[in-house]
Amino acid sequence: MLEEYFKMAIKNLRTRPLRSWLTILGIVMGIFLVMSMISLSEGLKQTVLTHLSAMGKDIILVIPGDISNILTSLIGGVNLTDDDLKAIEKTKGVEAVIPNVYKGEVMKYQGTSKNVILVGIDWRNYLKIYQEDLGFSLSEGDWPVGGRREIVVGSLVPQNVFPGLKIGTQAKIGGIQFEIVGILKSRGSRQDDSMVAIDLDIFREITGETKGAPEAAVKVENGFSPVEVAKNIKNNLTEISKRRIGETTPSFSVLTNEEVSGIVGNIMGVVQVAVVGFASIAIIVGGIGIMNTMYTSIRERTREIGILKAVGAKNSTITIIFLIESGIIGLVGGAGGVVLGLGLSKLIEFYTRSSASFYLKASISAGLVIFGLIFSFLVGCLSGFLPARSAAKLKPVDALRYE
Amino acid sequence: MIKLENIWKVYQLGKVELTILKGIDLEIHPGNFVVILGPSGSGKSTLLYIIGLLDTPTKGRVFLEGRDTSWFSENELAQVRGKKIGFIFQQFNLLPNLNALENVMVPMVFQNIPEKERLARAEFLLSSVGLKERILHRPFELSGGEQQRIAIARALSNNPEVIVADEPTGNLDSTTGQKIMEILINLHKKEQKTIIVVTHDPQIADYSEEIVNIKDGQLISNHFVKEKVLWGK
Repeated sequence: MLEEYFKMAIKNLRTRPLRSWLTILGIVMGIFLVMSMISLSEGLKQTVLTHLSAMGKDIILVIPGDISNILTSLIGGVNLTDDDLKAIEKTKGVEAVIPNVYKGEVMKYQGTSKNVILVGIDWRNYLKIYQEDLGFSLSEGDWPVGGRREIVVGSLVPQNVFPGLKIGTQAKIGGIQFEIVGILKSRGSRQDDSMVAIDLDIFREITGETKGAPEAAVKVENGFSPVEVAKNIKNNLTEISKRRIGETTPSFSVLTNEEVSGIVGNIMGVVQVAVVGFASIAIIVGGIGIMNTMYTSIRERTREIGILKAVGAKNSTITIIFLIESGIIGLVGGAGGVVLGLGLSKLIEFYTRSSASFYLKASISAGLVIFGLIFSFLVGCLSGFLPARSAAKLKPVDALRYE
Repeated sequence: MIKLENIWKVYQLGKVELTILKGIDLEIHPGNFVVILGPSGSGKSTLLYIIGLLDTPTKGRVFLEGRDTSWFSENELAQVRGKKIGFIFQQFNLLPNLNALENVMVPMVFQNIPEKERLARAEFLLSSVGLKERILHRPFELSGGEQQRIAIARALSNNPEVIVADEPTGNLDSTTGQKIMEILINLHKKEQKTIIVVTHDPQIADYSEEIVNIKDGQLISNHFVKEKVLWGK
């Protein structure tokens, strides 16, 4: 019988096509927003987490500033000093301290000059750690030799930055000639894949950044617990900062790989909740649209409801027919919203792939599509429930006499 | 048998009480052709709606086959309306979105009759009222008389024992009206259906076996017509 009720509902919707489509459009907008937002924020989260997972478990990140106050560390431009780096190195259980140094510089390659993210790497001492713990591997060529003017580039450099860039060719940075010796495999983040890595000492020479580092990665010695070592590092750093005279005590964030993933996951979670929260308002508006349409429709069809009741329709039958109508509005709107929302996400992904510094991946799963469809159907049914009930409660004689 | 016992119907219009029916007692026997006659505003349509279980009395009881319907749930009332009573209205009351065939099939949907059977019966009923060629037309494409014939076919779809008709010829010209009455008479004669017609037109009363006269919500007279001219025709 449900099939018959479906047919009736569809016939009713088709009788008033403009109104049906406008109501559907309301839901399309809501679901469209939710879908694109979820897919993009989920994609961002996955990109960041994949990037982090390339990092070994016994790596600790040291960042100046308090991670809970992310703005100060981002805007502040606070660096770890050489003293800080030494203090970290001396901490028990620390095998190596690898300063993460980077700066935007102009690179000239075969007549073209472009801004690149220049990274300084201590190949001589820490190549092994880069390979084993920080997820660096070559897709082509060789690793540079420490102290030599050799370059390794991220996987996106030969594609986007200098299309056609080849190993064995020359490039100029800061007036110094380099040879390109290797191309890295993708590390999953656009920033990393766009980098140009040179020897640390030469980096300091070119950029003039001779002291400290914006952040550092710490390799924990075998047999030590990263959590314990992180705690000790933090204590040592706080200790030496206290000894400095006339300076306010800076804070440090010392994070194990697990903590970083947790923090990123949490931040992204909050972002997602906020984004979905805002988009939900659009869905509520769409739902109110459905409710309005259904109430109007019931007013117009009061007599029809009376006829249906006169020929044997139960209250539940009337409720079901109207719920199917509002459910269909929701579902069709949902399908439109899913297609448009995911389409927009893919478009943004496509656009950011070919643009400069920021890469946003759209995460589209069958689960998300099903969620979108079921959710919109439920919004439709829920919005249609009160109107449907009021239609079912009409007395047949009153409905028949309604003019 | 339908039995009405001291039926009152009072409407509350703001602070004013409007009494439409004032203690009506009536018995309608199976297979009878009854005409409820009365001027407009006499309460005859209200009485018909109560007989057809579309409305409930303010006071009094309606018995259907000996069962007191005041205890029926909404669902039971819908079930009885769908199965045992067929309605014909002055305004035809067809569903405008559906064609003739679909309109006749609707009551059968609610009785869970399989589609094949529904289709066959609807086609049969529409041809028996002379609308075989018009089954795919929607109400607005048909004349008043044709619409009323669809309504009759719809009333018969679940083969009810009782047909109630509220001014069935009220919106039709006299020739068409007469044809509609002939269909009802045939139903009564051939299928022994109980037919209850409400009208203000004394001519319609000529077709009936029993005339119930109503005025100001009260039963004035209830008499059986012994020999019907039309029956013999």
